Amino acid sequence: MQPDETLLRLEAVQKRFGGLVVLNNVDIAVGPNELIGLIGPNGAGKSTLFNVITAIYAPTQGRVLFRGKDITGVAPHRISRLGIARTFQLVRTFLTMTAFENVMVGAVYGAGGRVKYATETANAALELVGLTAQGDMRTAHMTLSDRRMLEIARAVASDPALLLLDEPMAGLNPTEIQRMVDVIRRVRTERGLSILWVEHKVDAIMKVCSRVIVLDHGEKIADGTPREVTQNRKVIEAYLGEPAA
Amino acid sequence: MSRTLQCIAIVVVAALALLPFVPGAVDAYYFSFLFFIFLYAIMAQSWNLVAGYGGQISLGSHAFFGLGAYTTAILWTGNYLWGSLYDKHPSIYYFDPVTMLLGGIVASLAAVIVGLPLLSKLHGDYFALGTLGFGEIVKVLFVNGGDFTGSAFGIVAPAGMFDTLRPHYWVALGLMVATALAIRALMRSRYGLALIAVRDDEMAASANGIDTLKVKVAAFAGSAFIAGVAGSLYTYYIFHVGPDSVFDLDWMLLPLMMTVVGGTGTLLGPILGALVMYAVFDLARIVVPDYHPVISGLTIILAMLFLPKGLMRSFAGRARTG
Repeated sequence: MQPDETLLRLEAVQKRFGGLVVLNNVDIAVGPNELIGLIGPNGAGKSTLFNVITAIYAPTQGRVLFRGKDITGVAPHRISRLGIARTFQLVRTFLTMTAFENVMVGAVYGAGGRVKYATETANAALELVGLTAQGDMRTAHMTLSDRRMLEIARAVASDPALLLLDEPMAGLNPTEIQRMVDVIRRVRTERGLSILWVEHKVDAIMKVCSRVIVLDHGEKIADGTPREVTQNRKVIEAYLGEPAA
Repeated sequence: MSRTLQCIAIVVVAALALLPFVPGAVDAYYFSFLFFIFLYAIMAQSWNLVAGYGGQISLGSHAFFGLGAYTTAILWTGNYLWGSLYDKHPSIYYFDPVTMLLGGIVASLAAVIVGLPLLSKLHGDYFALGTLGFGEIVKVLFVNGGDFTGSAFGIVAPAGMFDTLRPHYWVALGLMVATALAIRALMRSRYGLALIAVRDDEMAASANGIDTLKVKVAAFAGSAFIAGVAGSLYTYYIFHVGPDSVFDLDWMLLPLMMTVVGGTGTLLGPILGALVMYAVFDLARIVVPDYHPVISGLTIILAMLFLPKGLMRSFAGRARTG
């Protein structure tokens, strides 16, 4: 008997598109309040992994467990209400809405889902990412970095236990990246969330995360502290190729 | 909506409501002209709900309009509702709220049955074509419905009820105002938030806990309900309900154009569009009867060129900048 502290558990997840195996036998466990970086070369299967967790794709084999419950193939909106929130690699905000309305969607329909406190929840989430002043701004008029922040605010407002970030730093400049690092840290410490964070900016991941998972060609090749991972032979080969001799 | 606009709206509606009391007004040409503007404004609101706010371009409004019209005619001529009461009160079906409501309900039930498969499988243009196909199917079903639907000729309701256009006018005006108020309330509720979210980005909406299929089907059904009630109202005007009259594509195309010209996804756009476009259509019909479709078509092209966002947004935009 083991009291299951694990929040999210992937068991032997496989995803095939026709003959192409995008995820192969991936096991991942995410504990409470963990900040885990998920890295890997292009086409390693990182975004597909997120899409399997949030049920946009059904895995070909394997199971996804959230708080010990099998959530494989559950409808995406149910996943959100169970407490898994996400952002998208290509930002997906509601462009005709104001920033505040965007966040309200998360507050009203997400895992918290109570209309009564939705306004307070939404304002707190905007404050957390530093967008309070832009609350009434139309999302279509916001900068990319603000929209990425807004996506995080919307996800946080849905009161999740687990937050999946899909390349939140893509397209941001160094100042904006620093701001994003601060926001991710704040989300974790102030809200007590677990975060699974896909990123191409490996240096940022290594600085901020206590644990890093590396995917390559759909397989998990490393899982450990940043130090362990950077010294892992398979990881070095995945990024730099095999040594010549 | 600003306070001034609200005051203007209340004054205009009050004036329109009192118009039938003006001597001679009921017999004037503009009286039926106004009735048709109200009717088209209701249809435009119906299309705006599912397409403008919901982002699901439906080309099946005429099917729901016709279903409402036929439901009313069938209930009435077959006396399915009031039994022996009908003998005592021969006018019991005339503007009967229950009959009109059932017209809307039948249309929205059809929308749910068709919407579930269409909206879960088809997106964008494909959904639009699916609804267009649905309209054709319904029309064929009614043409081949035997005595129940009156086949190709349709059904004639007792026209002896008619002595004045007043009730039509008031009911149409009331329904137009009620529809606008209902949609206004809806769009301020959590449901309105979900509808816009689904329109803007379906994947993000479902990732934030919105059951997108439910929202889309509900919008489709709500739109069909409004169109069904409008169809029911039209039965009391035309008395002869036939497949070529109530399932005519115009009942979908004209409200669509009116909404686009007035401003999709705005509350007053459909009403303003109905007013402007119906006036253009009607004027062209009177002044240049041989060429009136040309004038109407030109107006739409010009509107799209110079007011691509519709009248409402163009004016609102100008007011904000100037």
